[in-house]
Amino acid sequence: MVSKRDQDLLRGSKLSPADRENILKPYLPDPADLLSRRQSQRRKKPLRKAPIRTFLRSQLHQLTYTLIHIFFGIAVRLLQTYHAVVDRIFAIVYHHHRTPELIRKDVKGLKRVPEHLSVILQLKKEDDALTVLMDEVAELTAWSACSEIPTLSIYEKSGILKSYIPTLHRVITRKLSSYYGSPSHQPILQLFAPHHPVYNNLQNGTPAHKLNSNSITVLLLSSTDGRETLVDLTKTLAEMSQNDKLLPEDITAELVDAEISEITTQPSQTTPPARKGDPDQPIVSVKPEPDLLLIFGNFLKLDGYPPWHIRLTEMYCTGDRSDGTTGYGEAVEYQGFIRGLWHYAGAQMRFGR
Amino acid sequence: MATSMHLSRLRKWFLASPPIEFAITRLKELLISALKQGPVPRHIAFVMDGNRRFARSHGIETVEGHNLGFEALARILEVCYKSGVMVVTIYAFSIENFKRSKFEVDALMEMAKVKLVQMAQHGDLLDRYGARVRILGRLDLLKPDVLAAVNRAEELTSRNGDRVLNICFPYTSRDEITTAIRDTVVDYSQPIKSANSGFGNSRTPFSESHIAHNIRAQSLGTKVLDSSDEESTSESSSTQEDTAKPKSDPTNTVYETGSSFSSSSTLHLSETQDGKYSPPSSSPPTAATAETKSKPNKPLFISPETISRQALTDHMFTKGNPPLDILIRTSGVERLSDFMLWQCHENTEIVFLNVMWPEFDLWSFLPVLLGWQRRIMKSRKDPDAEGDFDGDGDSPDEREDTEGVAVAGIASGRGEKVKSL
Repeated sequence: MVSKRDQDLLRGSKLSPADRENILKPYLPDPADLLSRRQSQRRKKPLRKAPIRTFLRSQLHQLTYTLIHIFFGIAVRLLQTYHAVVDRIFAIVYHHHRTPELIRKDVKGLKRVPEHLSVILQLKKEDDALTVLMDEVAELTAWSACSEIPTLSIYEKSGILKSYIPTLHRVITRKLSSYYGSPSHQPILQLFAPHHPVYNNLQNGTPAHKLNSNSITVLLLSSTDGRETLVDLTKTLAEMSQNDKLLPEDITAELVDAEISEITTQPSQTTPPARKGDPDQPIVSVKPEPDLLLIFGNFLKLDGYPPWHIRLTEMYCTGDRSDGTTGYGEAVEYQGFIRGLWHYAGAQMRFGR
Repeated sequence: MATSMHLSRLRKWFLASPPIEFAITRLKELLISALKQGPVPRHIAFVMDGNRRFARSHGIETVEGHNLGFEALARILEVCYKSGVMVVTIYAFSIENFKRSKFEVDALMEMAKVKLVQMAQHGDLLDRYGARVRILGRLDLLKPDVLAAVNRAEELTSRNGDRVLNICFPYTSRDEITTAIRDTVVDYSQPIKSANSGFGNSRTPFSESHIAHNIRAQSLGTKVLDSSDEESTSESSSTQEDTAKPKSDPTNTVYETGSSFSSSSTLHLSETQDGKYSPPSSSPPTAATAETKSKPNKPLFISPETISRQALTDHMFTKGNPPLDILIRTSGVERLSDFMLWQCHENTEIVFLNVMWPEFDLWSFLPVLLGWQRRIMKSRKDPDAEGDFDGDGDSPDEREDTEGVAVAGIASGRGEKVKSL
């Protein structure tokens, strides 16, 4: 509570300069301190006056530092243990059992579901890292499809996934079939990366026979779609300006927004190969700004994520803001995903369905 | 309610009693000095969110909430600057906020002006922090009176130490990025000649062409040295005349240099041109000389391909500041809200705290700092581990470079993979 005196003090308009100085005074460094600092910067003589005291003081600081970090470390470990236990409980209570109905039930009560979900994944350093990564993408696609999220974008820093689009598509389709069963029950899957054409599964099974009318678009992003794209845009604009095709005043946030959105969220318009040359191919429309950004990690670090579109994106980190003792980010697990969705909807996780 | 009021008053009285106050101050000092023993972030950004909500929940007026927020800022600045943080950036007013009701915008502007005037009144107080104030944002959107206050505050603190307090005033990150792009484009669409005409007029003690001649002469031998020496002297004299009568003389010299060194590299030619001549618009002879050297009749530009991420970074409002290490947003809103998008998407740790800004103090700041220190120390011990911050050890340029190399390596690796596929 703010006391009466403070209330009087804090009414800005009534304060005299002296009063304001009084408010600030407790937080200001001691003038003598500053003086000594300046002196010590100029010449080191004042320090020599009490070498033992200075030495003891530095030792004390070192000791305090060590102690603080020991206690902080213990606290962090305790918290981690607690979170790990809660995590396991959630993992048991909320398990998808590869059943779309169960996932749908988990999502049903939510006030809002993101239209565009974005996930930051990390390529690990083991030999089978790529297989693991693809499996994670496939799982995430399946969960998103079940939660009826129309767009999922996967950010992976190195961009290795972009060179394996057909393989990845196969992996995801296999995963979807383990969730949904026969291909006709699966949602339409569209997979693409910026500067790449859309890769979809219309070639096997014509869309007319589809029983599931849902579709999911998966967008693969990498660090080159971030700052590099903005640099490329600048290069193009500079060249245009040098050739008098554009005035610098014409560069507005709207122009940049339109260009960046086009480049990063639209597939390239090259003619698709003949085998999937369907005339009425569904037009890919992606909401460029993600609604929710999920980070499977211990703390929130964007790691080169494209900066332009995340100004209003909610961010959710599955970890507990403790340090990463496991070395890598947390595993991509369903309970982390569903917790992110719950968090986005402003709801609390409960034990028991 | 009444008991809690009494309790809080009792607690306040207890905390305000001299021995306890002394002990707490000592403890804080000790903690801050201890923090300095480890790695310290160099650049921290705050989104000061929750002033109004705090005021509402505590039944005080909004203005008071903002005032309490100002006090919290003073508190945090003390901790930051004492523990060795070089740059603190705060988000004060968004361009989007102009879309609020006129009444509210006016009130906020008035408040900002009052705060800045206060700062100006207490120049010595800011001086004790040793921090310069810099206002980042679209100053052209401000009213003249507010702008005057801004300029005065910046000017008063300009002689302070190397610490910086960045106040993002009418700011959005998208606007910042757009401005950076625009400024880069403007820079790159200046012809090189007109860029150099600056020192063509103001007399420089050494002439570039003269130096170039000497270097060339040394490498070619004595015979050429004689002739070029004569020529360079004549040239330097003509440079002096240049300012006086720029019409006829330069043409001759250009022609001479052009003909006598027709065998030399074009680079050298362009250098002599760059060093000596006024912009093509003012002196038509230059265009003629350009034609004689079979060069395109077009002003010279720096190639846009040389634009890099560093070039854009250097055009951001935060140019010259160390990379952002921690971004803290209070009040539990987990969005960036158009703040520091460019700066904080690399290695920045983003922290969303569930306290209102007026309540934010050392005790909620400490865990963030400690966690950051732990991670830095861990990544220094084991640089391959996740979350490899570089800490405050090396320069941002180095970081940028290594990263560029890494990206290039990945790109080439990808290329190979594509081939193998």
